[in-house]
Amino acid sequence: MSPEDTSIGRAVRFLSDRFPVDKLSFAALVGKKEVPVHKMSWAYYLGGLVLFFFGIQLTTGLLLLFYYQPSVSDAHASVDYLTHDVAGGALIRNLHAWSCSAMILTLLVHLLTTFAMKGFAKPREVTWLSGVALLIITFAFGFTGYLLPWHQIAVNATKIGLQSIEQVGQYLPGALATLPTRLREAIQGEPSVGQATLSRFFAIHVVVLPLFTMAVLGLHLLSVQIHGMSQGVDRPADKTERFFPFFVLKDLSLWGVVFFILATIALCVPFESFFSFPLFEPYDPLGSTPDGIKPEWYFYFVYYPLEMLPFWLVNLVMAGAVFVLAAAPRIFRGTGRQTLRTLAAGAAAYLIVMTLFGHRIYAMVKGGH
Amino acid sequence: MARHAPALLAASAVTALASSAGAYPQYQKWIQQNSGRTVSCAMCHENPDGPEGVKAGQLGSLDAEARKRLDRARNAFEPGARVDSPILNEFGDHIISTIGKKRFVALKEHPELLPPLLDGSDLDGDGISDGQELRDGTHPLDPQHGDPRRLLKVNLLRYRFHLGMLAAATILGLYGIRHLLHWFALQVRGALSAGDGRSSTSAKTS
Repeated sequence: MSPEDTSIGRAVRFLSDRFPVDKLSFAALVGKKEVPVHKMSWAYYLGGLVLFFFGIQLTTGLLLLFYYQPSVSDAHASVDYLTHDVAGGALIRNLHAWSCSAMILTLLVHLLTTFAMKGFAKPREVTWLSGVALLIITFAFGFTGYLLPWHQIAVNATKIGLQSIEQVGQYLPGALATLPTRLREAIQGEPSVGQATLSRFFAIHVVVLPLFTMAVLGLHLLSVQIHGMSQGVDRPADKTERFFPFFVLKDLSLWGVVFFILATIALCVPFESFFSFPLFEPYDPLGSTPDGIKPEWYFYFVYYPLEMLPFWLVNLVMAGAVFVLAAAPRIFRGTGRQTLRTLAAGAAAYLIVMTLFGHRIYAMVKGGH
Repeated sequence: MARHAPALLAASAVTALASSAGAYPQYQKWIQQNSGRTVSCAMCHENPDGPEGVKAGQLGSLDAEARKRLDRARNAFEPGARVDSPILNEFGDHIISTIGKKRFVALKEHPELLPPLLDGSDLDGDGISDGQELRDGTHPLDPQHGDPRRLLKVNLLRYRFHLGMLAAATILGLYGIRHLLHWFALQVRGALSAGDGRSSTSAKTS
């Protein structure tokens, strides 16, 4: 048995294939990189767009930190002060809220198009896996950030989310059954959602997750630059264009246009105007809970099925979906792009239907909220 | 007994007020039906749970001075009176001040007649009249809350200068990048024709 056939040898070969040292130069990573030009080329801009929205999240989030007070007594008042009394505060907050939604939407489209274009195939497994990790981190950003304003919908929706984690325990065997409860207690920090929960969510949202994001994003971008854009279509593209400066400058143009649209929306349409105002009253543990407590729209694809179908079934399907995403490079190794496109279209249809019409389907099934 | 008389009077007054405080659910019901939005007592009252109770802004929490203010507000039967009720917010005070308590009570059977009477004011200055905010079920004291389409229309007009400047900056940026791309393409084409030997088809694609 040669040293290369051992598991360590295979691991070394795997890593050297994914991170070839000879390609770790500026010339190889940027100067010589070519981007295929074909009918699906627009999808290559999606990753950069997600990065752009993340940059806006980071910048506006830092500005919000100047005023936000992470305590149950002051959180709502500080957000209220920031929104109504600080010059430009409402704009910054709306930019943060709108770019969060835009980032998640773009990220989902990026994931589906990359899947449809077989962008996960060898040697891009690390790119794909780090992308899936970034998707999960982004959802965690959304979940933890939702609680911070400490209003009715924030606290009540977080309570429901944390209860759902605990419920998973009843379907796990033996000692594993207590794991979700302990996880919930660790996140919650006290018997009910309170100051400890807010402190932990704040720390996770502004420190832990950004650090994770930086690390995983660094790996993702390095991997993208090393291996370049995937072929994307079955027949190799006749044309390519240089990544630098052509693709980068086009990317910048797109960012400029998108920023104009985003700023216009953030300036003219407050994000909270789509909801009933009682949802944004300060959370009162002794007061009544207003109607319409729901998670953010990007969780509807799991929220409405949870409301309509058995808990175990939805969790099983979602766990299966995460497993399929993580194992896609192996599962779909020999699958053609036509099949992948059909699967991606099916997933997109499900996400669109559940997000836009989930409440109507729920009303039909259960007879309304 | 005489020693306890003021306290008893106050208690009975609070009870009497409390029994009549929630006497106008017709407005809330109509707004919710008309707008499709959930509306709480916080639209007109200090406390989101309404005037009954002992929390801040509720009848049970009022001291003697606040009760006097409440009495004055409850006696503002005609329009034009200055209203400063301890259980109503600025919008609640504004309604009573604008149309008078008598008319407000009379309109409870026809809540749809209330918004037109408030179309002349815009307390939060968001560009949507208070009457329209009532119809839409949005908060009349929060400039960040209104019907999204109306806010878009109003704010596009309000921020036209800012948006114009932003559009100009974007167009200028795009113009600059386009010319930069053109310049780079020329450079690549020049290098190719000079026999640089590069295999890139950048010039072709640019």
